[in-house]
Amino acid sequence: MFDPYYLQQLAIGLSLGMTYALMAIGFTLIFGVLNVVNFAHGEIYTLGAFAGLVLISATAPPIVAVILGALAIGALAGFSLERIAFKPFRRFTDEASLKSRAMRESTLLSSLAVSIVVREALEIVFGSQMRSVPFEYLINTPVRVGPVILVTGDFIIFGVAAAMLIGLQYLLTRTRVGLAIRAVSNNPLGAKYVGIDTDRTIITTFVVGSMMGAAAGILMGLYYGAVFPAMGFTPGIKAFVAMVMGGLSSIPGAVICALILGISESMATTFVSSGWSDMVAYGFLILTLIFFPNGLFGARRERV
Amino acid sequence: MNFRLLTLTTLTAAGIAGSAFAADTVKLGYQLPLTGDTAQYGQDFRKAAEIALTEFNAAGKPFKVEIVFEDSRSDAKEGTNIARKFVDDKEIVGVLGDFTSGVSMASAQVYKEAGMPQLSQTASHPDYTKVSKYQFRNIATQAQEGPYNAKWMASKGIKNVAVIAEQTDWGQSVVSGFSDAVKANGGTVAFSEFFNRGLKDYRSLISKIERAKPDAIYTGFFYEDGAQFLKQLQQLGIKTPVYSTSAAYSPKLIELAGGAAEGVHLTSNFLPTDPSPNVQHFVDEWKKRSDGAVPGQFPAQAYDAVRIMLAAVEKASPNPTREKVRDALAQTKDFPGVTGKTSFSADREAEKELVKVEVKGGAFVPVAE
Repeated sequence: MFDPYYLQQLAIGLSLGMTYALMAIGFTLIFGVLNVVNFAHGEIYTLGAFAGLVLISATAPPIVAVILGALAIGALAGFSLERIAFKPFRRFTDEASLKSRAMRESTLLSSLAVSIVVREALEIVFGSQMRSVPFEYLINTPVRVGPVILVTGDFIIFGVAAAMLIGLQYLLTRTRVGLAIRAVSNNPLGAKYVGIDTDRTIITTFVVGSMMGAAAGILMGLYYGAVFPAMGFTPGIKAFVAMVMGGLSSIPGAVICALILGISESMATTFVSSGWSDMVAYGFLILTLIFFPNGLFGARRERV
Repeated sequence: MNFRLLTLTTLTAAGIAGSAFAADTVKLGYQLPLTGDTAQYGQDFRKAAEIALTEFNAAGKPFKVEIVFEDSRSDAKEGTNIARKFVDDKEIVGVLGDFTSGVSMASAQVYKEAGMPQLSQTASHPDYTKVSKYQFRNIATQAQEGPYNAKWMASKGIKNVAVIAEQTDWGQSVVSGFSDAVKANGGTVAFSEFFNRGLKDYRSLISKIERAKPDAIYTGFFYEDGAQFLKQLQQLGIKTPVYSTSAAYSPKLIELAGGAAEGVHLTSNFLPTDPSPNVQHFVDEWKKRSDGAVPGQFPAQAYDAVRIMLAAVEKASPNPTREKVRDALAQTKDFPGVTGKTSFSADREAEKELVKVEVKGGAFVPVAE
């Protein structure tokens, strides 16, 4: 088992898992609060990557400025998304509408619509071909750790994911904003009655979640060196799977499941053809839904 | 009453005059992906087709040609719908396209029923021309490229090869065309595997390849996947030589992969550095419309395909019909294209010469023999 080949596959799996986890954190935050899947999260991810690319080609700033720029665009995009696709379904404040699930579920389709429009718009403006990122900005110089080769990007992504996780835990447990978010995710109607400004809270959640999505996008763009309008689709699916496996509203659970997903995909290529490795992810999803309907970490953790 | 009669007569006269003009325009259909994941290819084809069309229409022929472009998004369902649309338009006498073998073959079923000649500039799956006598192509198939590459690798003393290709009809034809030829030359295939097109992370696949320790890697991918693969190959510090089909021949491969593309071997049937006047003319026209970028093999294929079709239409005129255009296409012999001389054999395959190319110093250079 300590054969360097398996160690390398494990390392690759962990690094892959971290990339899924980056995306899953923002995704789970939004789902946890609103109980609806935000289909446009993949496009926020793509927007973050393109924003970074545009910044790089326009003014070639240092890498930290690029990431901050992408975060800013992510926040803006999250705010606009909320206003366009989610707010209109909350405009009725009579009892029946507030309790209605149909209103919430229609946001599934509206966010899907926004995602389609944004993707096609990006295609029209930038063209659908893969764009390269200038080599000075790439974060994939190889680093040898014992018998295994990792890249600098792996450490950066790990650091950013850890920072996001810790920062989010701090935000949610130690600040008033976080308290409001937890209240709204627990019981939106109750939170409203108690006097919490649900509208502002939801906007804040979207902005924070989208900033994380955009950060994921720009980091992945720099990691793989390829940016194109359809890049948000697969990470979105993997993040969704990680979230469901992790228990739908548990962020640490989603991260752990994203890691499990990455490792199993990578190890699976040893045994099955690489084309089937996606099947591992979906197989896990099916098993989880059958045996752990609340997700692996759902029932046992406080909803955060 | 008189006014009405006058208007009707004028309109009829205009109608007759109009249709007399219309008889001087021949229509062709072109199905290609203008949006979606493969849009960049379709848009290159359209550009090349427009270059060829402008030249033809300016050459003082007795009729003009118009090409109707339709977006198939490289989706077989869309391709079939477009095929039906073209077939229903009685003025279209020939069709070009599609980009991928899968969509071309799906549309071919419609063209077979309707007797519409179809010329694909890039579909290289061996089964495409077997659909009916109406299917033509002017690109070498994997059944030709595979043995050519196998012989090249055998001549360099490579015995054990790992083969990977994308999981599509075309990818499967790459693997089968090549594996059979390698075994016939006395080599072995270490393993062959398929990956999903659009995969960004090849590292676990690369580790697996490395464990099998092949002498060389043969790949069936397009430049997007190729660039990712090559970059990650370099990241993991693997020096095994990589050989590829002509599908990866695009300046974008070098742009995306940078230094990781050094030393990749490919085949091609188009070299922009070829000094022949028609090649240079095409390269200049392309550069004018592309901010100085040099064309790769695919636009050159489209340019030749359009010109072959136009030549067939000219041969079949006046009053070209679909049958006449098909027969004229089948008789194409030694057509002087930028991708070499094209002749269609009895089974409508193009007999093409392939060239060995290597990536050296950030550019594609022909391999000195």
